[in-house]
Amino acid sequence: MTEIVLDTLGKDFGSFTALRDMDLTIRDGEFMALLGPSGCGKSTTMNMIAGMLEPTRGQIRFDGKRIDGVPMAKRGVGFVFQNYAIFTHMSVRENLAYGPKAQGMSRAEVTRRVSDIAELLQLTPMLDRRAAGLSVNILQRIAIGRSAAVEPAIFLLDEPLSNVDAAFRAVMRSELKGLQRRFSQTMVYVTHDQLEAMTMADRIAVMDHGRLLQVGTPLEVYNNPSDTFVARFIGSPGMNLIPARVDGDTAHMDGIGALTLTAAPGTAQVLAGFRPEVVHPDDDGPLAMGVEIVEHIGARTIVHLRAGETEVKAVLDAEHTAPREGQAFRFRVDAADIRLFDPATGAAMKRHG
Amino acid sequence: MTEIADIPPPRTETPAPPDREAARLGFRLTLPAQLLVLFIAVFPICMQIYISLTDWSPLDGIPWWRAHELWIGLTNYSDLASDFRFWGALWRTLFVMLVCVPVQFFLGLGLAILFVDEFPGRRIFYSVLLVPMMVVPAVAGYMFFMLFQSGGPVNDILSAFAGRTVSIAWLSDPDLALAAVIIADIWQWTPLMFLILLAGLVSVPKDQQLAAVLLGAGWWRRFRTIILPRMKTIIIIALAIRVIENFKIFDTLYIMTGGGPGIATETISVYIYKVTQQELIWGYVAAIALAILISLSIVSAFAIARLRRGS
Amino acid sequence: MHRSLSFETFRYAAILTFLALSLIPTIWMMSMAFKPVAEWQAAGANLTWWPENPTLDNFRFIFGESGSDLIVALERTAGRPILASLLAATFGTLIAMVAGSAAAYGLSRFGSGGNLPLALIQLRIFPPMAVMIPVMIMWAFLGLIDTWWGLALIYGIVTMPFSFWLMKTFFDDMPREIEDAALVEGCSRWRVFTRITLPIMRPALASSGLFVFILNWSDYLIALLLTTRDWVTIPVYMASLSSSMTGQLYGAKAALGLIAAVPPVIMGIAIQKQLVRGLTFGALKE
Repeated sequence: MTEIVLDTLGKDFGSFTALRDMDLTIRDGEFMALLGPSGCGKSTTMNMIAGMLEPTRGQIRFDGKRIDGVPMAKRGVGFVFQNYAIFTHMSVRENLAYGPKAQGMSRAEVTRRVSDIAELLQLTPMLDRRAAGLSVNILQRIAIGRSAAVEPAIFLLDEPLSNVDAAFRAVMRSELKGLQRRFSQTMVYVTHDQLEAMTMADRIAVMDHGRLLQVGTPLEVYNNPSDTFVARFIGSPGMNLIPARVDGDTAHMDGIGALTLTAAPGTAQVLAGFRPEVVHPDDDGPLAMGVEIVEHIGARTIVHLRAGETEVKAVLDAEHTAPREGQAFRFRVDAADIRLFDPATGAAMKRHG
Repeated sequence: MTEIADIPPPRTETPAPPDREAARLGFRLTLPAQLLVLFIAVFPICMQIYISLTDWSPLDGIPWWRAHELWIGLTNYSDLASDFRFWGALWRTLFVMLVCVPVQFFLGLGLAILFVDEFPGRRIFYSVLLVPMMVVPAVAGYMFFMLFQSGGPVNDILSAFAGRTVSIAWLSDPDLALAAVIIADIWQWTPLMFLILLAGLVSVPKDQQLAAVLLGAGWWRRFRTIILPRMKTIIIIALAIRVIENFKIFDTLYIMTGGGPGIATETISVYIYKVTQQELIWGYVAAIALAILISLSIVSAFAIARLRRGS
Repeated sequence: MHRSLSFETFRYAAILTFLALSLIPTIWMMSMAFKPVAEWQAAGANLTWWPENPTLDNFRFIFGESGSDLIVALERTAGRPILASLLAATFGTLIAMVAGSAAAYGLSRFGSGGNLPLALIQLRIFPPMAVMIPVMIMWAFLGLIDTWWGLALIYGIVTMPFSFWLMKTFFDDMPREIEDAALVEGCSRWRVFTRITLPIMRPALASSGLFVFILNWSDYLIALLLTTRDWVTIPVYMASLSSSMTGQLYGAKAALGLIAAVPPVIMGIAIQKQLVRGLTFGALKE
């Protein structure tokens, strides 16, 4: 039960800045995802929270107490490694008992904790099995249980699903989310997979190139990305961003058509953004592009549209008949679904009205 | 030998299936090695058994295949049982091994622990520390022969510490000569332990060690519960290699002391060598050699079987 | 993980102690090799750690130039023993590598010779001294005593376990796809082995070869038993550098020892990465 505050936190490796001036408050009991492509600084951030790295600048506070200089064993941090780092030469029981034993708890206490955790995580039937050769979701439970046995203040999870088969990930995600609810512990989850972040996290911190770009609930980040990077990174496929010339409350897109905006921005050149899911096929729609490729993915159909150099992706659900490749495709986008970005800085423009 | 059965019969009309070709090539490729093993193991051992039952010596003027004229049955073996020089040599060999191997192991392990993580100078120190094991053992023997002369540098250093002239006759005192030989062996082969154990230490998964730290385990607990169990096989290999090689100890020792003074540093290899070259009773040597081969085979077969069961 | 000042101090102190202890013997020999006669004959209080008048006299002496202050002349110079060591070690390595790699490939790819791994380990476990009687008899019968080729043959056999095991692990590690592609193209397996696998394995062959060469070059016992005069190797010859007349010719021995010690040390450092694999019969790859 801990609130984590990162205060202008920064880390340099020699002349390379891995993380610059990160301010972030992770609330008590919150499931926070640090999301970004590799090299964005998310793992660096997590390793500093765990104490594996010392910050170059700034502070980390747990419940208001500075923890820089506190050795990692004393921070009360439960860490779940990418490959779980299960002690495969031990039994499941020995794995779970490792922390309590290392902290010098009495034999009775160790036994009690192990049986409690095992019960909670449904590991009781396999307590005496060797940890080697168990399936990944069991390993995940052992990894979490092993950390939970010492009752850490926070849990850090380092891309725990990245080595798991795609088919199995959905199961693991829901199991993990369930575990978090049960422990109601502060959890920081590092991932490069936006789907994991979107489905599990209470809030997402999107990072790129050592910078924190946006913090918000999955819906906020999805609906109102703070800049073009977040817009493209979140969602699959990401947001369409099209150069447009604004005239009054109309945005003109070369070779495609004109969009009506809810309000008139100040500048003339913008990037008009809209999600592939808000593209509505409409034979009378104001926009038209050529259909290049049509992909059917289950109930969804992804249509790749092109006009000159500009590409747009549209996601249609099953009720729409998919256009055929080579055809022209007319569509509309509702004014409320359009986000505008500054083409020079990439930052989102404030919405008026 | 399944390979022989796999040699294809004379050409038939259908082309040979590819696995036939593979088997034939496999057989041909392994043939030279098989023949060399046969040449060095099977034939010599048969010859050795034959000679060991005779009193043959190259000085007798009769070729070895007529050694049966000097047939003495198992006399050589019964002589061996009461050969105090042999048992002394065997005991000394084991003693040297029992001192050297553990010392090398703990020194090597200690050094390896110091080398696990990165620090300035690590690479160069590592390379330099390996030098002793690459020095030709005979040359190493000669180095230590020089060092341990009574007017030599070891005594010189000791004098500097003692503040008076020390002139210990290292190589002509029976106990000290054995100590000198042991020191030379430790000097030369600690790097090997270091090398192997470091490779083993480095191969212990980092994240498991980190996980143990995060769970609150101190250094010793980590070492005992994570590192040692993971290194078990490597430790066994390292010890086995040194035990095997140490049993053969000859080059360094023979150059330093020649097995002397008297027989004070005579090990099995030195003893056999002396009987072979100086006393020339080859029938007896063959019996000793066979006895050793048989006991080693039993010990090693037992050890390998246990290892197999363990892993 | 444990990074404190006291630990770092301890680390460097311990390593430097070890370093000093491992280097002193070698440095002493180097120093002796470059000392003039008067200095290497000195003892006790007159000892000097470094040559005060460094000279190459010792090297000249062992190669037969009587530039030094020694009155004795050598019956035989070091040239021939060095040649003997080179020839025996080189051809021994060749035999071990050819037979060992071929067998390793046969086992690794086609599963032939399944008895070899254990047989070769056994061969390594036995002290050479314990099989030398029959070998000496056989070598005498074949006229191989005191020849470099006789020595090369036994070296090849004795070190074959290493070349076999080393190359086996390398072949096991090599991805099969490359060979399979060539087989599909219609190459014979022999052609695949010689034209594709061996060229790819060149670095592995080189480091294994160097490793085996070091072992062969380091031999003393076998040469002591199988050579007598014409083709004695360096370590055997070294013993002749002392006589009842002159006593130990320390300087000359040190010079020769240096010549013998330098090649394996350089080679060993060059193949440092493969040393562990070689020494542990491939059980451990770094």
